[in-house]
Amino acid sequence: MSDVPHNAGYMVAAYVVTAMILVAYAVSLYRRSNKS
Amino acid sequence: MTLAQKGRWITLVALVCLAAVYVRALAFTPVERLQGPAQKIYYLHVPAAIWTETAMILVGLASIFYLFLKDARLDRFAAASAEVGTVFATIVLTTGPIWGKPIWGTWWTWDARLTSTLLLFFLYVGYLLVRGAVRDPGLRARYAAVLGICGMCLVPFIHLSVYLFRTLHPQPIVLKPSPPSLPGSMLATLLLSFGVFTLLYVGFVTQRYALSLMPDAHGGGSPSHV
Repeated sequence: MSDVPHNAGYMVAAYVVTAMILVAYAVSLYRRSNKS
Repeated sequence: MTLAQKGRWITLVALVCLAAVYVRALAFTPVERLQGPAQKIYYLHVPAAIWTETAMILVGLASIFYLFLKDARLDRFAAASAEVGTVFATIVLTTGPIWGKPIWGTWWTWDARLTSTLLLFFLYVGYLLVRGAVRDPGLRARYAAVLGICGMCLVPFIHLSVYLFRTLHPQPIVLKPSPPSLPGSMLATLLLSFGVFTLLYVGFVTQRYALSLMPDAHGGGSPSHV
């Protein structure tokens, strides 16, 4: 296992960015729906 | 229960399931030996990419039928699918470079798959801009339909680009004629994630479609074309 690359930071960044995009869009739909 | 409420519930369930996918992918799916933990980006990138392309195919099909039938529901669906497709394309174009940096040593390269995916993203953005710029509902729907059909024609090229050109991007390991070349536990995580992204697409599109039915959703105009 010692030769496995240490790049977990990139993985965490991708998972955080994806969650942020999806939650932001869900909130945007909710707010637009309430405003209309 | 209204359509918007149904969409909200589906989205909520999908987001909870997405949390489960995160737990499974990060804690219970083995680390790939050559790529390391960064390989796990695959479980988000691939389902988002499949739905980016599928959403555009659905936009194109709805657009073709709209041009023949002039049914406003088809135009509304195309608009909803395009907006959700743009969100998924954003995920693809952010997670891809984040994976590329540790694996390829570069955030971006102008190879056929990456460039054509970027073009698809610009088509999505152009589609949304056209819808926002043209005030006449009939013209707006027709102009958008033409863009939607162009986008749909691009999708097969994106999928086949890794076979047609020499690219850095890996070839498909699931969506190919032969059986998937992925260990069982990794394939299960990928399929689970794909199911959740499907649910997210349905929830988002349902909400966006319901939004277009509201009378003042587009500057107080007719609810028939938004």
